[in-house]
This record gives sequence, structure tokens and C-alpha cells, in this order.
Amino acid sequence: MIRFPTLGWLALRNLGRELRRSALTAAAMTVGLALLILSRTLADGAHEDWIDSGVRLASGHVSFNAPGYRDSESLDDRLDAGQLEASLGAAALAPLTEPSITTVRVATRGLASSADGALPALIVGVDPASELAFSRLGAEPATGRYLQEGDRLHAFIGAGMATRLGLRTGSRMVLTAQVASGDIAGQLVRVVGTYRTGLDDLDEALVHIPLSVARSWLGVEGATSVSMVLPHSAFTDPVLAEARATLEGAGIEVAGWPETARELYSAVRIDDAGDWVFHLILFAIVTLAILNAVFMSVLHRKRELGLLRSLGLSGAETGLVVFVEGVLLTIASGLLGVALGFALVWAFFRNGLDLTDIMPADITFGGIVFNPVMYPSIELTHLVQSVALTTVIGLSASLYPAWHAARLDPAESVKVE
Amino acid sequence: MNEHAVRTEDLWKIYPQEPRPVEAVRGVDLVVAPGEFVVMAGPSGSGKTTVLNLLGGLTRPSRGKVWIEGREISALPDKALAQVRLSRIGFVFQSYNLLPVLTALENAEFTLLLQGVPVTERRRRVRRLFREIGLEGLEDRRPPRLSGGEQQRVAVARAVLGEPALVLADEPTANLDSATADALLDVMEQLNRDNGTTFVFSTHDPRVMERASRLVRLVDGRVAEETVSGDAG
Repeated sequence: MIRFPTLGWLALRNLGRELRRSALTAAAMTVGLALLILSRTLADGAHEDWIDSGVRLASGHVSFNAPGYRDSESLDDRLDAGQLEASLGAAALAPLTEPSITTVRVATRGLASSADGALPALIVGVDPASELAFSRLGAEPATGRYLQEGDRLHAFIGAGMATRLGLRTGSRMVLTAQVASGDIAGQLVRVVGTYRTGLDDLDEALVHIPLSVARSWLGVEGATSVSMVLPHSAFTDPVLAEARATLEGAGIEVAGWPETARELYSAVRIDDAGDWVFHLILFAIVTLAILNAVFMSVLHRKRELGLLRSLGLSGAETGLVVFVEGVLLTIASGLLGVALGFALVWAFFRNGLDLTDIMPADITFGGIVFNPVMYPSIELTHLVQSVALTTVIGLSASLYPAWHAARLDPAESVKVE
Repeated sequence: MNEHAVRTEDLWKIYPQEPRPVEAVRGVDLVVAPGEFVVMAGPSGSGKTTVLNLLGGLTRPSRGKVWIEGREISALPDKALAQVRLSRIGFVFQSYNLLPVLTALENAEFTLLLQGVPVTERRRRVRRLFREIGLEGLEDRRPPRLSGGEQQRVAVARAVLGEPALVLADEPTANLDSATADALLDVMEQLNRDNGTTFVFSTHDPRVMERASRLVRLVDGRVAEETVSGDAG
């Protein structure tokens, strides 16, 4: 029978004797884990920021469309009034503990023109109140104001479009598009304000007009999409599942942001994979450092380990003493690492990690503007993965020294050097 | 009681080495009765330490057999051999006998701890023996704060406290001055006399040889001569 309490007691004493060596070994794991936690939470925070920014300018975390609309973007593939009601009902039933934002849009491709010229445009009819909370485009207008309840023939356009078409707040412009009947029709609107996202393609093309104007001009009753912004992207799957179950057979397609914002989704995945590669390299180095420290301590204590064999410990038990030392170090380092990691995360919670000084302004990536201030976000799964990775590394770095200790020849080990 | 504390039969230890294997022990036949105080003497390289290691199960014979209290140990698996060492054999080495992370008392009681003896009983036995062998008051000292002689006495205490069939002592006086060596040997003789503990030494220290009840001389891995105390006259 293996005498675990005695071996644990002995391992603890051994760690205490070589306090400096133990502390340095533990420090490698502690700092490694703390940095991993900080790095993961910052990456998760940045990714959540990207997703949030990206989906707000696009179709939200979850969108409801008529089948085929996401490919055709045609008014022919729109939600009728009944489907719109059903979609809004399903959105309201979403299993969420925090409030979400739902907006209804009628969107079409068309042309925006002024006396100075014309530009291809994505014209979106919106409910000003919900859209303001949804896309936040109008939260800080570059000029003028955002659309308001009661606005009729008004438009909120990008600063890029305003420049290209020579428009200012109060200027008039004409929107032209194919309406539901198939005819081409124009709509005169007046610019009430402009926005600037930093995404040139968007700033030169996206036009918001009141939903009521879009409906009457384009001849539609329903909508092209109902979109939801959720409190966190992690809610996407459960909300999707619930909505799909609710709307089964209703002829409504419910899609999550990974499907509607593929470029963004790929960008997040690629960045995530890059982070893991970096972390694995970091931890490979940490593993070698720990392995070296533990193995050197075994070589240094060869006579002691031989003595333990002569006193009646089996090879396996002798190896176990070394392994338990690694386990104790890993536990201590794990706890300290989590504490230090959270302390670092806490330090960045308020003001974030500001990379403004080392990052050029207006970097766009995957359809969003990169925010140079990174805020941490704690995701339990990633936290557990980080702790598990450190545990595996701490234990596996102790395995070889333990195996070596177990296989020491006791007669050779106790020889006087 | 077993007739023999230890017995060997045609014991060989051959180390594979280029260009020729080294025959460290060559056909040693040895019988040690319970309570004997046996000394193996011989020049360096004569195989004394290797024989002790074979008797203690620290290394396995290339050929031949070893019995401890009638139980053949040469072919036992590692775990069973460790159990034999724990319950039936005590070791005293030339130096570095103690675990540096433990106090004198903890070192002495370590075998009892592994044997599962309750703490109160362990402490009682250790303190009594410490009194007998002059270690009283040193219980809480760690090895670096003990003299060489004190360290060896702690090692002897640890070796005998588990009430083994035999104690194997490999050059236990090699690093000690005369007075300390004599004091250590007095302790061992006393334990041999009072408790009937069997001792087998390897040494080339004449002071140890003088106290042997039987002197076994090894030359080139073979028993060259055996002298029972009183025969040498």
C-alpha cells in the first residue's frame, strides 16, 4: 500500500528546504498562469468588442429574414406582416436575463445622388429609437443629428458620402431604387446629420431613412429583417435555438452572427488561434523551465533518494515523492496564478489596456474598426482552460523527474561521491 | 526463531563493462547467525560494499541467492523487496545518512513511521533509545547542527528502532575521529548485546575488526579467510 500521507509530508518538507528553488519554480508557473489569464481575458474582451461593434453595424447577433434574403438582398425575399409579427414575438421570447435590443429594418441597394454626382448606396429604413440603441451610429453624429420620431423625408448619411456628393446638413439628395413592384422609383430626402465609423466603404454607402418612408416609397408592409443585439455573444446559440424552435414551419430563417458576419467570425477565429499558438509557445518555455528545475533537484538529491530506497520506499513511492512535490507546487502556483491573474484583470477593468500610442488610428479588421483600448472580459470556459493548461504543464513537467527518481539504482545512489 | 539471520549461496555480482565484465563478487557463501557481530574486511575493491548491498537487497545478484531469516529475497519484485528492507533490514552508511529536511527525532522514527507505528509509540521508543545512546536533548536538531558522531548515532538509532533481523553498516566509522568512532561502536555493541540485534559491517578500520565476533576477509570478491573471535588469539 502506498503511504500517501507520509510521502506528502516528506514532499512538503523537501519543498520547504529548497525554498528559493521552489519559489522560483512556482513563480514561473504563477506568472505564466497570471499572464495567460490576463492575455485571455483581454483577448476575450477585444473579441467581444469586435463582435459587438461588427454586429451592431450589420445584422445583430441574431437576425430573422425570409428564406433567400441573405443571398439575394432583394425586396422580393422579405418578411410579410405576419412573419414580421412572428419574428418580433420570437425575439421577445428569447431566454435572456438581461435586456436585448430588437430593431426592424427595410433595406435595399440603390443609388444616392446629388448635384455633384451619384454613389451606390445601401438604403435602410429604420425605427429611429430602436436603431439608435442598436447601431449607435447616431449616438455621436459627426454633424447634425440622428433621425427622430416624426421625421419624414430625412436621411442620416455617412461623412464619406457627404464629402463625395458635396452634401451638408440640410442638403437635399435623391435616393433611387427598385421598389417592390419592380419599378425604379426615386425619393427626395434631406440630410439631418452625418456619421463617421472609420470604415470607408460604410461611410460612403450606408443611408438611414425613417422606416415609414422606406415602406411607403418601396411599397412594402413587412420588413427585410428583424435583428437582435444580445447582452453578450455567448447568448447567441441559446437564443438561436429557442427562436428556431418557436418559428419552426413559419418560413422564417433565423441566423446567428457567425453566419451573417462571416468575415468577422473568421477574423475572431484567426485571432483566437493566433493567441493560442502564442500561449502554447509561452507555456512550452515555462514547461522546460519547470522541468529543468525539478529535474536538477532530483539529480541534486540522488543520495537522499537512494537513502529513501534503503529505508524501505519502493521505486514507485520514491518517484511519487518527487511527483507530489510537483503537484504541491502546481496547486500553490495555480492558486497564486489565479489570484495574480485576477488582480491584473481588475487593474485593467476600469480603464482598459490603452494601445493608442503604439497602434495607428483607424485600423480596420474583419469589417470593424479596431478599438485600441482593450478591456478584459472573463469567460469561465477560457479561465478553466487556462487553469487546466497550467495544471497539465505543472504535472507533466514533474513526470519525467519522478520517473527518473523511481528508476534510480539505490546501490549506485547511496555511494559516497 | 530462524536459524540464520542471513545466508548466501554462491553469490555473484558481475557488472557488464567493456572490454571485460567486472566480477565484483565471486561466489560468496556466507551464513550469519542471529545476534552475531560480523565484520567484513578487505582492501578497496574487494567487494565488501557490494556484498552488503546484495544482502540488503539494494542490488540484485547476477547469480546465487540471498536469504533473510529464511526468506529468499534475490528474486523478489521491487515492492516486496522494499517491504523486506523496511521491516527486516537496517542500514548505516559511511556518511549522508540522514534526511536533511527532518530533525534528529524525525529521522530516527522514519522507519517506524513507514511501518505504521502510532506516533506516541514512535516517540516513546525514540526518546528511550536516544537516552541510552547519548542523544537526549538533540531531538529537534536538523542534521547540519549535529556532529558527525551524533549523525551516525541517529542513523544507528533509525536502523535498530524498526527491530530488524540485521543491521548492515557500510564503513560507519570512516569519517569519524577515534574517540567518536569508539563511542559509536560502543553503542552498536551495546545494542547487539542488549537487544540481540545482528550487525554486519564492511570496514577496513582495525577498531571495528577488533570488536567483531567473526571477521570475514574478502579479497577480489571472494571470502579469503574467516576468523571467529578468540581464534585469532
